[in-house]
Amino acid sequence: MDPSGIFSTSYRKDRQLVRTKWQVLALLAFLALLFLAPAYASPRIIAIGNVMLISAIVAVGLQICTGYAGQINMGQAAFMGVGAYTAGLLASKYQMSFILTIPLAGLSAAGFGFLFGLTAARIKGFYLALTTIAAQFIFHFTVLNLPSSWMGGSNGVTVPAATFFGIRIATENSQYYLILIYAIILIAGAFGIVRSRFGRAFIAVRDDDVAAGIMGINVARTKATAFLIGAFYAGVGGALWAYMIRFVGVDQFTLFNSIFFIAMIIVGGMGSITGALIGVFIIRMIQEIIATVGPNIAEAVPFLGGDIVFSSMNMFLGGVIALFMIVEPKGLMHRWNIIKSSYRIWPFPY
Amino acid sequence: MKTFSKLSFRAFAAAGAVFALTQAPVRADAEESYNLAMLSDFSGPYADIMPILAGGREAVVDWWNDTRGKELGVVLNYKNFETRYDAAQVASLWPGIKSELNPIAVLGLGGPDVAALGERLPEDKIPMFMATAGYGFSWKTDSWIFNPRPTYSHESSGFLMHLREKLGRDGPVKVAIMASEASPAYVDMARGLEQFAKENPNFVEIIETVYTEVQPTDLTAQMRRVVKAKADAVIIQTNTSIVVATKRALQANGSDIPIMMSSHNGLPASGKAAGGLAQLEGDYESYGMAIAIEGDTEPYKFYQLLSEKYDLKAPWNVVTAMGMAQGAYAVTVIDHAIVSNGAAGLTGETVREALFAAPITSEETHGMLPTLKFTPEAPFPLEGLKVNVASVIDGKITIEATDVDVPNVTKW
Repeated sequence: MDPSGIFSTSYRKDRQLVRTKWQVLALLAFLALLFLAPAYASPRIIAIGNVMLISAIVAVGLQICTGYAGQINMGQAAFMGVGAYTAGLLASKYQMSFILTIPLAGLSAAGFGFLFGLTAARIKGFYLALTTIAAQFIFHFTVLNLPSSWMGGSNGVTVPAATFFGIRIATENSQYYLILIYAIILIAGAFGIVRSRFGRAFIAVRDDDVAAGIMGINVARTKATAFLIGAFYAGVGGALWAYMIRFVGVDQFTLFNSIFFIAMIIVGGMGSITGALIGVFIIRMIQEIIATVGPNIAEAVPFLGGDIVFSSMNMFLGGVIALFMIVEPKGLMHRWNIIKSSYRIWPFPY
Repeated sequence: MKTFSKLSFRAFAAAGAVFALTQAPVRADAEESYNLAMLSDFSGPYADIMPILAGGREAVVDWWNDTRGKELGVVLNYKNFETRYDAAQVASLWPGIKSELNPIAVLGLGGPDVAALGERLPEDKIPMFMATAGYGFSWKTDSWIFNPRPTYSHESSGFLMHLREKLGRDGPVKVAIMASEASPAYVDMARGLEQFAKENPNFVEIIETVYTEVQPTDLTAQMRRVVKAKADAVIIQTNTSIVVATKRALQANGSDIPIMMSSHNGLPASGKAAGGLAQLEGDYESYGMAIAIEGDTEPYKFYQLLSEKYDLKAPWNVVTAMGMAQGAYAVTVIDHAIVSNGAAGLTGETVREALFAAPITSEETHGMLPTLKFTPEAPFPLEGLKVNVASVIDGKITIEATDVDVPNVTKW
């Protein structure tokens, strides 16, 4: 719903994502804030930003697959792992540039995801969830059991730092810009995808796949496409992760990580790109606050002991997620939309 | 006259001061202070043992500050950082640790720390000292991450050489390995021993490597094969759950084939999980570190000192010993660096140089570790490796052998 007095007078205006001059200004200010972050923020904040941005790319991919297309996906961390391994192996074995390895990582993860998308054509709900869990195990056991000269096996893969015209992208700040640029491109792309023909097909299949089929939507292809796109995002996120950590191991992409990505889109709000970003921010911030505040509390109140402080903080994180589920099961974006529309139509109730 | 008296008094006082200073024990006047970052997991998979391990290493640093630190004029401050045993958390924490704490060394905990910092520490020039044994995948030259113990495969092969001698075998001892693909580390432990057996067929014969879940329910069928093949021992360096399931399965098959465990899943922990140490009668634990049993031993005396004077609340067990060993070799290396370079201007780089410059003697770590001689060839000592072996006799943990030589294990 637009603010009072804002009317679209052309189709082009109606399609605009940013609709008012204040929204344009806010977006530009936000982008400036992001690009200038290394100038004012500490290395710790930038490092948190790097992890958040990578998580955001992966969570946005999951949002497209699960939030928009309604395909339960509990293997997003595995898709991320496929991307990380692809980028890591191409960079370490063939000395390929990140300009090539990152898109190729996305494509390889997309291919892996597409296989599970094909199964989604036949099954859904609980059965689909189980199938995507299988993605986690297939990825895990494949990496560990193939000859170690292929994918590193239990040794993992050491990834050389990305270089751009001779400049090593190895510091927090340089990695931040690399990740930020990919995040902006992919998130902007996600807004475009969900408003496109594909996005509308995703929503139709999510809401009622039988009705969507009757309306002429190729349901099987739509589901497979949702997985393909979601996994592509995860693959790119995985490749960026590989360049950030510079070591890829199979235990970095577990089912536990996949569940956390689902928690992020639930907290933020299913079916909203902004919701996915907010979910990532909230969950990661709570984790970082726990990691930051915990040692200080343990130091200030030594009789409590680190174990009590840290385990309490973890329970707090779980409690916050549970609270979101109880108070606002549709996520923060749903609550925000209610507040926004209430403000815009005030004093009228609807 | 008055002026003369004043001058005489000043001269006398100055002479007295010079005399007092020259007669005082040699110690640095200005106190230098350095920071240590301690990576911890109070809320992840190691939450139950972390307070004990952290207590051990912190008490050692407190002891060092109070003794050698005072002599050298150096204070080591430390701060714990919660990693949740998660590489992403370590990666996001590290830049802050580096910029805000500027540590001269990191005391790490496990795999996620190694994964997240393995490529960063050489660039930041800060060494990390671990508490555990090493792994094949971290066996790299010019490392900045160090283990006081060789790989788990070194430790198990050392034990098997001891067992072979004990059994009086001319041929190989037959063993089964229990592993799990749930963790690359568990796979690595098995692969190293498999390689040792392949290269030394006269010493060790692997009957089977049994891959199972990390929390197995029933291993009766697998153990039937192991019993039929007449194994001399079952090697389990994974976790206590696999030890308990294997024990139950061996009992179900009417077998008393001994199990060898490591430190983190050793006799006290596995015994507790199995329903008492009596359940593990005849079983072993073996690792390259002091075995935590009470008695007239240097490690136990050191533990008692830390408990009485340095507020160490942890009980005397293998986890406390791991923390103490980690703290002991870390402060010894820093001590060496101060002696070589002086108290001022110590950096991570000088600490790492000191690690290679001189061996860390067993006396310096109060017998917690054997004498360690690090080289840039590996993140752990490759020469003079020793393991200790303990077993359960009449329901009690008893030291069976100390300073058992570890054979040469090639990189896998």
